[in-house]
Amino acid sequence: MSSATVLSPTAATAPQGVAVAAPTPDVLLPVKARKGFIGFLRRHPTMAIGGSLLLLMVLVAIFAPLLWTTDPTALAPARRTREPSAMYWFGTDMLGRDVYSRVLYGARVSLIVGFSVAILASVVGLTIGMIAGYIRLADSIIMRVMDGLMSIPPILLAIALMALTRGSVQNVIIAITIAEIPRVSRLVRGVVLSLREQPYVEAAVAAGTRTPMIIWRHILPNTLAPITVQATYICAAAMITEAILSFIGAGTPPIIPSWGNIMAEGRALWQVKPYIVFFPAVFLSITVLAVNLLGDGLRDALDPRMAKRI
Amino acid sequence: MPPLLEVENLQTHFRTPDGVNRAVDGVSFHVNAGETLAVVGESGCGKSVTAMSILRLIPEPPGKIAGSIRFQGRDLLTLSDREMRDIRGNEISMIFQEPMTSLNPVLTVGRQIGETLRLHQGLSAKQAEAKAVEMLTLVGIPEPARRVREYPHQLSGGMRQRVMIAIALACNPKLLIADEPTTALDVTIQAQILELMRDLKRTVGAAIVLITHDLGVVAEVAERVIVMYAGKKVEEAAVSPLFRNPKHPYTQGLLGSMPKLGSSLHGDEGRLAEIPGLVPSLKQKIPGCVFASRCPHTTDLCRQVAPALEEKEPGHVAACHYAVKEGAIAA
Amino acid sequence: MFAYVVRRVLATIPVMAIVALFVFSLLYLAPGDPAAVIAGDQATPQDVERIRASLGLDRPYLVRFGSWVWDILHGDMGVSIFTNLPVTTMIQQRIEPTLSLMILTLILAVSIAVPMGVLAAWKQGTIIDRAVMAFAVLGFSVPVFVVGYLLAYVFALELDWLPVQGYTAFSNGFFPWLENLILPAIALGGVYIALIARITRATMLEVLGQDYIRTARAKGAGQGSILFLHALKNAAVPIVTVIGIGIALLIGGAVVTESVFAIPGLGRLTVDAILRRDYPVIQGVVLLFSFVYVLVNLLIDLVYTLFDPRIRY
Repeated sequence: MSSATVLSPTAATAPQGVAVAAPTPDVLLPVKARKGFIGFLRRHPTMAIGGSLLLLMVLVAIFAPLLWTTDPTALAPARRTREPSAMYWFGTDMLGRDVYSRVLYGARVSLIVGFSVAILASVVGLTIGMIAGYIRLADSIIMRVMDGLMSIPPILLAIALMALTRGSVQNVIIAITIAEIPRVSRLVRGVVLSLREQPYVEAAVAAGTRTPMIIWRHILPNTLAPITVQATYICAAAMITEAILSFIGAGTPPIIPSWGNIMAEGRALWQVKPYIVFFPAVFLSITVLAVNLLGDGLRDALDPRMAKRI
Repeated sequence: MPPLLEVENLQTHFRTPDGVNRAVDGVSFHVNAGETLAVVGESGCGKSVTAMSILRLIPEPPGKIAGSIRFQGRDLLTLSDREMRDIRGNEISMIFQEPMTSLNPVLTVGRQIGETLRLHQGLSAKQAEAKAVEMLTLVGIPEPARRVREYPHQLSGGMRQRVMIAIALACNPKLLIADEPTTALDVTIQAQILELMRDLKRTVGAAIVLITHDLGVVAEVAERVIVMYAGKKVEEAAVSPLFRNPKHPYTQGLLGSMPKLGSSLHGDEGRLAEIPGLVPSLKQKIPGCVFASRCPHTTDLCRQVAPALEEKEPGHVAACHYAVKEGAIAA
Repeated sequence: MFAYVVRRVLATIPVMAIVALFVFSLLYLAPGDPAAVIAGDQATPQDVERIRASLGLDRPYLVRFGSWVWDILHGDMGVSIFTNLPVTTMIQQRIEPTLSLMILTLILAVSIAVPMGVLAAWKQGTIIDRAVMAFAVLGFSVPVFVVGYLLAYVFALELDWLPVQGYTAFSNGFFPWLENLILPAIALGGVYIALIARITRATMLEVLGQDYIRTARAKGAGQGSILFLHALKNAAVPIVTVIGIGIALLIGGAVVTESVFAIPGLGRLTVDAILRRDYPVIQGVVLLFSFVYVLVNLLIDLVYTLFDPRIRY
């Protein structure tokens, strides 16, 4: 038996004849948890990095005219395909346009498309998902249609839609939104169906709360977290899809400087003048990365259960 | 002869976001060859963590095991992973609480029993299956030749626990750790499993560490008991002195909360005693006695000074300032 | 089991019907006269009339849809407006490179991504795990054509190890075929690898926390056996499901990858068809890809029982 009595600081205060247990040593040192804003950043570094990168990109897009740019569409055949220099930071393209200015203005297109699709697809998907989750008759029809739409790879669907319409930013947004709606609807429907089974919702129903009230009070707030996360991912996907559409000539009209268009124009020359493709590619990748990081951070913060799953 | 297993000053702590959880904090005990030792206590007292620590099944990090665990003279905590794997399932094996989830759902029963044999005895797949059938017969599963090819979901809870026992005993271990082996089962099945364990102990001759919160089970199978509370050992004795004359107020409370057969549930004298309050958080160091917050006899001394384990009677150890004299605080 | 297969196959019919209806109707969803839309801005009235007649636009909508489906079921996808060749012939000519690219990418991606995810789950919280997760975010974020150009620039232009562009048929030998496809496959695989690695890690983490993994450890099983026998087999169903769903990413990505690497496949065909507004070709390709996608996911549904004996039909 190891009941050895060792003298400890507390033993001094103990009366004579009382057996005092030896204190147990610390095996692990506790880690200090930081609180406040710094603590939040430490716990969610992805959100902090993604958020600030995205904010930076938004500022670049808004203040593009002030950031030493020239007219991004100004042609100048005399200074075609200049390498990057102090004069033309990112060089010039085959029509002599300043790539730096075009790339900065291109941020506008990508961000507008990304945000618009995220918002539109979320709103429409939320509505469709709610209807499907609440009206049994509509559910089977809507979900059949969504299954069908989801069987068409989204980029292909967007391409097919764009092939029909005149290229414009507005049409690109609509095409990508249509391609993204089925996924949001499915997500919302799933959440609604599982929430309806929750005891507190069933209790509210049993208590005679009217359906619109239940949706407003219980269902909607609980769909908000997953849909916000989903919206960021849709935003990232939409920016990539827009670039792909423009790159293959089915997106925004060539006159508009979007990153996909700049790359499409640089394509013919990419082996000799790779920088024309390189700069918009870097900007696009960083922006999408920022949105994805933000999405991952939001997911970890808003929905730990979902974070564990994917 | 030195004991089969000698655990000394075992500390198993976990790092959590809100502090270090001192799940097991300075526990010592031993198990002799062929004996059955029961470890009892409420859920969260550290008895399962103790069991997992012996086999080093605690993930490190976030956990950390300190102290020494000598098995047949070798300190398990100093062994390499490779050496530790040779011991697990071979010389020391373990049965878990949840038979429904402790078997791998996508592997056949035969494969899961055979795996141990193939790992430790180098049997071929065919030999292992033959031995698996033998083991299933031993643990009393009818139609073993058919069952050996079935998957866990095709078996009942009691059958699955029999399979777990077959896996644990396949390599004739010297020590079997059973962590609440009957808790998740129906009462009738519980009795069958306990009966089986007692029979097998006689035939196989393994020592058993039985972890349970069920004192009825302890009285039936064990020879010696240690009582754990809040990560500490608070009392240790042979079964009958412990039941007859518990020294620690916590043990007294545990025994008092156990229904006795034949006692009336009506009337005051038949009422089950309960221990008021909750197990304290293990994330803060407790300066005095760990049971002080719930003990009916607490004094200032208890709150300030942690009592050491003392031999109150020959072979009967308890950690309480006031259990010195027999019956001093016994109600 | 057989009854389930039949039921499952039958269940894909309405899905395919909706796909077909949608693909067919695309033309009429657009504002304005479909014939004029297809003919484009520089078309003469005669062009528009010719297209109108070739598409049979003068007949009622449902009649046209019916006969279109009837023709497709008989292997006739119509005639290209631009080349006047049957769409099926055009697809046949272009299918090998695309199929090669996708199969190679699939094999490459799965054999890289699954071990990556397993490793990350095993080493959870370590630098290895973080590296895998960082790679996954990058994979999701860097578009396929960016990776494509980068790889082509480094390995083909700068190092001159591999051909820059083009395709060599499989019949010309395995290595010439592989040489041309390896860079496109890596570029195309990026997102797919990211997707599979992430789901593998997440599912493995969940499985590794299960009681039966603890049992396996208690038996003395080694790390390899625990990860790949006990855990991965239990994690297989979600992983395989995502591999199937991810085919959509491969199909979408193939269109772009083929443009970057000048591979004469279905992707190039699609892009050319869009630029020429060759609608029958677009319809044919979209329908074919969707059919393949549905088929692959149907097959995956049917192989679940191989991984999990609890799934019974």
